[in-house]
Amino acid sequence: MSSILRRIALLAVLCGALGLAPCSPAKAAPEYRVKAAFLFNFSQFVSWPPQAFASATAPVVIAVLGRNPFGSDLIAIVRGERVGEHPLIVRQYSDVSEVDRCHILFIDRSETARLPQILEALRGRNILTVSDIDGSAQTGVMIDLVNRDHHIRMEINNGAARASGLTISSDLLRLARIVGPKA
Amino acid sequence: MTARTRRIRRSLIGMLLLTTGIVVVLTTAAFSVYEVVTTRELASRDLATLAKLIAANSTAALAFDNPGDARRVLATVRTERHVSAAALYSRDGTLFATYPATVGKSLPARAPAVGERFAPSQLVVVQGVFQGNLRLGTLYLKSDLGVIYERIRLYALIAGIILALAGASAYLIASRLQREISDPILALAETATAVSQKGDYSVRAPPAPGHELGLLTGAFNHMLTRIEEAQSRLHIQLARLDLLHRITRAIGDRLDLSSIFQVVVGTLEADLPIDFGCICTHEPGAQFIRLQSIGARSLALAGALGLSQGEPIPIDPNGLSRCIGGELVYEPDTSSLPFPFPKRFAGAGIHSLVIAPMIVEQSVFSILVAGRCASEAFSSADCEFLDHLCGHVALAARQAQLHGALRQAYDDLRRSQQAVMQQERLRALGQMASGIAHDINNAISPVALYTESLLEREPNLSDRARGYLGTIQRAIEDVADTVARMREFYRPREPQLVLARVALNRTVEHVVDLTRARWSDVPQQRGIVIQLHKELSPDLPQIMGAEGEIRDALTNLIFNAVDAMPQGGTLTVRTRASFIPDGSCGAVGAGEAERRVTVEVADSGIGMDEETRRRCLEPFYTTKGERGTGLGLAMVYGMVQRHSAELEIDSKPGCGATVRLSFPVTSEAPQVSAPSMRAQPERRLSILLVDDDPLLIKSLRDILEGDGHRVTAADGGQHGIDEFTAAQKREMPFEVVITDLGMPYVDGRRVAAAVRAASPTTPIILLTGWGRRLLAENDIPPHVDRVLGKPPKLMELRAALADLTGSRAA
Repeated sequence: MSSILRRIALLAVLCGALGLAPCSPAKAAPEYRVKAAFLFNFSQFVSWPPQAFASATAPVVIAVLGRNPFGSDLIAIVRGERVGEHPLIVRQYSDVSEVDRCHILFIDRSETARLPQILEALRGRNILTVSDIDGSAQTGVMIDLVNRDHHIRMEINNGAARASGLTISSDLLRLARIVGPKA
Repeated sequence: MTARTRRIRRSLIGMLLLTTGIVVVLTTAAFSVYEVVTTRELASRDLATLAKLIAANSTAALAFDNPGDARRVLATVRTERHVSAAALYSRDGTLFATYPATVGKSLPARAPAVGERFAPSQLVVVQGVFQGNLRLGTLYLKSDLGVIYERIRLYALIAGIILALAGASAYLIASRLQREISDPILALAETATAVSQKGDYSVRAPPAPGHELGLLTGAFNHMLTRIEEAQSRLHIQLARLDLLHRITRAIGDRLDLSSIFQVVVGTLEADLPIDFGCICTHEPGAQFIRLQSIGARSLALAGALGLSQGEPIPIDPNGLSRCIGGELVYEPDTSSLPFPFPKRFAGAGIHSLVIAPMIVEQSVFSILVAGRCASEAFSSADCEFLDHLCGHVALAARQAQLHGALRQAYDDLRRSQQAVMQQERLRALGQMASGIAHDINNAISPVALYTESLLEREPNLSDRARGYLGTIQRAIEDVADTVARMREFYRPREPQLVLARVALNRTVEHVVDLTRARWSDVPQQRGIVIQLHKELSPDLPQIMGAEGEIRDALTNLIFNAVDAMPQGGTLTVRTRASFIPDGSCGAVGAGEAERRVTVEVADSGIGMDEETRRRCLEPFYTTKGERGTGLGLAMVYGMVQRHSAELEIDSKPGCGATVRLSFPVTSEAPQVSAPSMRAQPERRLSILLVDDDPLLIKSLRDILEGDGHRVTAADGGQHGIDEFTAAQKREMPFEVVITDLGMPYVDGRRVAAAVRAASPTTPIILLTGWGRRLLAENDIPPHVDRVLGKPPKLMELRAALADLTGSRAA
């Protein structure tokens, strides 16, 4: 019963988000508010190698590459939060070349065409790549956010993550579908 | 079983049960509390751990909004049966997932505060779900505590069972303990009660098992045995003490040894008891003892022993001699001894013997012999008792002896005192008599002198006048004799016996006359008649003797005879001459016979018994009580011995008594020659006459001048001395001095001394009323040539003058 109610509520939220999206760029669609929360939560379930941080208190950078589907939600979510000693900051990149020191990089659907280049550019760097482009996990994005039955589910290419020196918590892995070449 | 024993048993069991119960209950309670506490703690810890686990596993589900996964995670509590509900709340507090799925309504709608809450029968843990520092949601877990209570109930059940089992075993143990501990203690307590209530020390507690109790009972029984022994010893000692006390009291009342010994032996036989008891006396230094007292019951045995009263028993070298040495001797077995004394007893069936000495002043004066038939029958306490007894008996004997001596001394003292008093009375009487005699002699002197002178010098007197004068002369002589006898009634003892010729008949006459008052007058006053017969032998030879003593002795005999006839009777005085044939005496040659003169005084009075006859001569022995001194016959006996005479007493009770004195007659005793009647001095003499009595001076001067002498009279001693000195100066000295003895101021002695000093050759004649006494006492003053008694007899005076002047003239 509660799950039905929740689903109805979620649906209403999603409808509201779709309807309101064009007229208010600052507000993301409800789906992306969830995804923004997911991005923040990934910072809790993934561990980076030490060299990924300049110092013990260096910020964990969550960046959006391409169009920002989250509006101000992502910033609102991470404001005041920390991962251990690291504060959280949000950045926006329009091109992969801009990407410098970054820990979680959301690759928007607007970058679908340049996805292979982007992945190529990020290879070997300690950056968790996340995208909601369909099948992106198969292509090398580490976490693909998939909308299934109105629920955001994850497909995780753990091989890509390991290749980049990242460790994804088994709790997270338990929730996701593991895809990609066997590394 | 008494209340006390029930009480002990019940309390023993009760204590055991109580102890066990308390232990079990306390243990159970402790376990339960521990269990509750630990179980709750454990449960809460378990639940917290579980919560942590679930929380850790549900982070991703919450973070990535996956209720299905959350339900799967929650479903893992299925294995924990006590967890009844689990739920996850999302970060905003809404219910996210539950287990079981249907439990939703019973859970809080919003996430409750974090913490641990105990409710009755359930425990709720609410915990936050964190990923790192990030709060992802809240976990709610509810555990049912019924399991814990179920376990506690189980414990209670087990405790109950254990309690029952423990009670049962405690009861069994208590019963066994009762047998092993309480029974002996109860038996001990009952014994102690019996002892304390009845005072019966012969009961014994039954022996108890087990070391300590056995020891206790043993010690208690041993103590009882000791007490019983001590008590019996005490009883015996008390009995002995009582016996000693009785004997001591009994002998304390007695003052003669044989009675004391009889009591001791009799009491010992009856009460110690002994089979044989006797007491033998021992003289110091003697080599034998004599049987003195033997117990009534021992008499039969004494025959068997060959013992009889007074028979000497020689002292053995062994036991008896040690006993005589002052040692108590115990012969436990007489048959084993070789000595005759114990052998005697062994032969009579007395096998154990105690010989105890009685010691007074370091010398054994008696021994006690106590025997029993059995051998070794005397204990050391018996011996000690007999030793003590002998000490007491010795003391009593000593006391009796001292008492006798004291009584004897007291009696002697009393008799001496009476004798001294009697003597003193006699002396006073005698002195008085002497004074009276002196005065009478002085007074009758002129009468005698003139009478004699008249008869002699007047031839012309008529016959009648001559007759009268003769009567006067005899009367005066009688008076003089009477006075002389009275004067000699008292006379101090002579230092030595002066023997003179004595005509016993005359002495007897004197005594009879003197004592007339006693045998005639005094009894007559009481209506008693004593007839006196004199049977005097006419031709009695004279004897040599002290007439005074003989007179005193006869006086005593007559007094005794009178005293022996309180109802009157006949008193006979006899004299006779006798010849004792040779052989009875042996003092004189064969064929001759000793001449003796016998005086008998016989009465018809009460007589004497054997005892009195035997003892009557002892000094101080008297049958007259306070009236007698006990000296009379003793004096008679003394006189008899001094005169080498003999004394016989014939008497029987009721048949009178005859006392016979028999004097030896000295063969050379001549007849008294009569003095020459008319002795005259050859010439006339110049005589100084000194006397304080003018009558005497006058009569003597008349007589002497009648004889032709020249007489100068001086009426006092000093006057006489002056006259004599004056005559010496005139060259006309006196040829003879006649002086009275007793004169005031200057008496006859001083006159004699002065005369002798002035003229040593002048004879001095002393005239005195005491004259015969002076003669008898050999007390003639110095310087006196002759003593003449008053009244002077003319013939004596003439004889003296002729003697003194004649011898000088020759």
